[in-house]
Amino acid sequence: MNVRNKHISFSVYAWRQFCRNRLAYFSLYLLGFIVFIALFSNFIANDQPLYAKYRGKVFFPAFSTAFHSFYLDSTLNQQTKHYEPIRFDLVDWKQVPLESVIWAPITFSANRPDPYNRGTIGPNDEQYYMAPDGKLEKSPFIFRHHLGATQIGQDIAAGLVHGARVALLVGLVSVGIAALIGILLGALAGYYGDTRLYTYRGKYYLIILGIITGYFYGFNTRGYILADAAETSVLVFIFQAMLSVFIMAANIFIFALIGNLFRFIPFLNKKVYIPVDSIVSRLIEILNSLPILLLIITIAGLFTQKSLFLVMAIIGFTGWTGIARFTRAEFLRNRNMDYIAASRSLGFSEARIIFRHALPNSLGPVFVTIAFAIASAILAESALSFLGIGVPDDVVTWGSLLSQGREQHSAWWLVFFPGLAIFITVTVYNLIGEGLRDAMDPRLKK
Amino acid sequence: MIKYILRRILVFIPTLIIISLMAFVISIAAPGDPVERLVNSAGGENGQGKNGNVSEELKQKKRHELGLDLPVFYVSLGSLADCDTLYKIPDKARRENLARLTSIYGNWDKISAYFQALQQTNTALNFLQSQANTNEIKEAILHARYTLISLMETAKDEAITNKIDTLKKLSAHIASASAFAEGERSIQQTYLDLKTHPTTWKTFVPRLAFNGLHNQYHRWMFGSYDGTGMKGSAYTRGVIFGDFGISYQDQQPIITHIREKFAWSFFLSLFSIIISYVISIPIGVYAAYRKGSLFDRASGFVLFALYSIPTFFMGLVLLLLFANPDVFNWFPESGVQNPAVFDEHWSWFQKLCHHAPYLVLPLITYVYSSFAFISRQMRVGMLEVMGQDYIRTARAKGLSEKSVVLKHALKNGLLPIITVFSTVFPAAIAGSVIIETIFSIPGMGREIYEAILNLDFPMIVAVFTITGVLTLIGYLVSDILYAIADPRISYTK
Repeated sequence: MNVRNKHISFSVYAWRQFCRNRLAYFSLYLLGFIVFIALFSNFIANDQPLYAKYRGKVFFPAFSTAFHSFYLDSTLNQQTKHYEPIRFDLVDWKQVPLESVIWAPITFSANRPDPYNRGTIGPNDEQYYMAPDGKLEKSPFIFRHHLGATQIGQDIAAGLVHGARVALLVGLVSVGIAALIGILLGALAGYYGDTRLYTYRGKYYLIILGIITGYFYGFNTRGYILADAAETSVLVFIFQAMLSVFIMAANIFIFALIGNLFRFIPFLNKKVYIPVDSIVSRLIEILNSLPILLLIITIAGLFTQKSLFLVMAIIGFTGWTGIARFTRAEFLRNRNMDYIAASRSLGFSEARIIFRHALPNSLGPVFVTIAFAIASAILAESALSFLGIGVPDDVVTWGSLLSQGREQHSAWWLVFFPGLAIFITVTVYNLIGEGLRDAMDPRLKK
Repeated sequence: MIKYILRRILVFIPTLIIISLMAFVISIAAPGDPVERLVNSAGGENGQGKNGNVSEELKQKKRHELGLDLPVFYVSLGSLADCDTLYKIPDKARRENLARLTSIYGNWDKISAYFQALQQTNTALNFLQSQANTNEIKEAILHARYTLISLMETAKDEAITNKIDTLKKLSAHIASASAFAEGERSIQQTYLDLKTHPTTWKTFVPRLAFNGLHNQYHRWMFGSYDGTGMKGSAYTRGVIFGDFGISYQDQQPIITHIREKFAWSFFLSLFSIIISYVISIPIGVYAAYRKGSLFDRASGFVLFALYSIPTFFMGLVLLLLFANPDVFNWFPESGVQNPAVFDEHWSWFQKLCHHAPYLVLPLITYVYSSFAFISRQMRVGMLEVMGQDYIRTARAKGLSEKSVVLKHALKNGLLPIITVFSTVFPAAIAGSVIIETIFSIPGMGREIYEAILNLDFPMIVAVFTITGVLTLIGYLVSDILYAIADPRISYTK
């Protein structure tokens, strides 16, 4: 052993440990595969060909409609000498007598059902398609529903590919929200505890006043603006909500500044400790004391319109407790370490110490919870779409495919494939989480 | 010890209050107007129309019964412009419109004058309608009334001006109706007055109002002891005495609904937890004892896989395999009893025998996920204990392996399992939503699912509160059990 090997950084060490865990390492590859499918879902499952030559003209329909779904083009009909328009997403390409073509691996789109194979066609049943000569013919291998189809003719394989995108997006966005809230609250709670964050009495009272008036100006007077924005679109609402939050924050800040002026009065110059840790811990306890799925379902039921972003937001805002608990524990451990004392003695600001020094050293174990949190977010989303709550009916997800298997007990493919997809994805995240945990556990160090 | 338990219960109370607050907020934020729904479903039964003064009166009565004519909470934060008795207006759409108008103009006096003009004209039209003799006039009056009602529900300047114009044309049309023309003029005048005298600054002055004990939350929580006695439909006993109001779906008290449903859910989740403990403890102990053996690795893998299988997938697969005429038709497909065979007068044993085949698949679905989780925890707990010094001492004393593992290690290895109860219990309750829906078990989970589909918010809030409280009790029990079981924990801070 050479000397350099002994002084590897912790992250390199953890990565090596992680790679030793073959199952976890394999899961990482599998996750990469799922991400690949989700990213390129448009070109993996599409009822429009990737490349097509028709009447001497070359098209790339799947690529053209990827960003612009109403893509329109025209071809010259040699017999009538007229130009005939083709709207790429409306035309049934399987019916068009194409001169040469490259199909996507799965020749169906999730949201465009196959009208010729209705009534829950199984993978081994006879399947038909409309041939270019206008006759209903037995599907060739490439046009078959290899994993079966639903009642209205949605291809399961295409649904799975599209569902991968939804599942990963839900995992990413909702856990992104949860991680943001959880890491921030956990860091503050762990770093400050109950006795480290203090202010002066005058400022303290004024900050409370600032919170109340800030809420008033941010959300009470702007209530109708927010309500109108919520009806227009998600993005407008997010913008307006951000503005409201900013107004509230600015208001609190102004009140805090005013509070500094009262320092000269001895009564208002007494130290007041803010029990950050107790507040955050209580919050976690309350959220944990409610069955999380029940909470999500109830909140989703409050909104009359269904939206995927809403579901992600709800899962994110209710799922941060685990991340916060771990971040808090890490900060509790880290805050008494020498390097924190050193950076404090150097006169760094508290924000800098927390975010630049303590946070990077605490994030390792937090990644473990994030991996588990993604798994449970995906589970929650598929449970919601299984129940048909919150997720819009026209969004094809693994859960919504699975729920169609509830009514039809002979159609095993409706249950088996989507269920397997959920199972594999959840297991992959769980295995990665487990692998990370073992990799970072110093007790397992050899 | 008693001190610790008491303190634990004390901490329990604020959490309970916050859960009740959350449930209350959900019931307030619910979309739709509860009065409208109740009146409509009642009107449908009695054959009464939705329009006219009868339903207005009925609405007012219902609002009073539901306590909606009270302020929302003990304190309320509003602006100086807000009218503090706005909640007394019966119609939700009009109430919200008034609030919106207030937020635009901030001059409550002018707004209320404008609104009174609208209402007076409406009354006048109502009278005219009953006296109208030709169809043409009748139609014109009807049109005018619709315009008036939509005026009461809009705050957009453009829309209001347009509608007032329509009214003007209509009033010119009905020459005989001087009362209408007069009303129309006063509407126009008051609206102009409102527009020219805005006091927008008032909407930027915050005001904290204290509403006393007569508010919706207090009434919802503790019931209404308003001195009128226990009689009358306006009386509620409050959530803490189990009165959750009435369901929108069938107008029956919710608590009677829930009582039977609760029994199913509670039985299933408790029974499944007991079963999973009974299975998982031996597996965990053996896996830990033979750490690294084939059994340990195999069981670890299987348990991990089981743990990741979503309950709805497992439930459907079980149904597909074991309640399917094409594969194995071993168990009935759904429900908990066969209404053709079931008899209310059976003894409990007969009933149990009748229910048993229906409950096998749901129980398996309940059990598998928690049992995987508990086994893994048990294994970890045992591994930790097996490395302790006192185990080595026990071995050194020459005790048999059996007595070392089962007597010395198991006792302490069991400790973490107790806390696991507080994780398993809420999971079982939440899982009940899915499992009960799949297997059509008439329990609380399915109840909340159907309540959400029907927007039956009193029911949702009731189930939400009850499960929240139950979970908290679960936490409390597991904490106290842990405190009793593990004497090493110190209870002084």
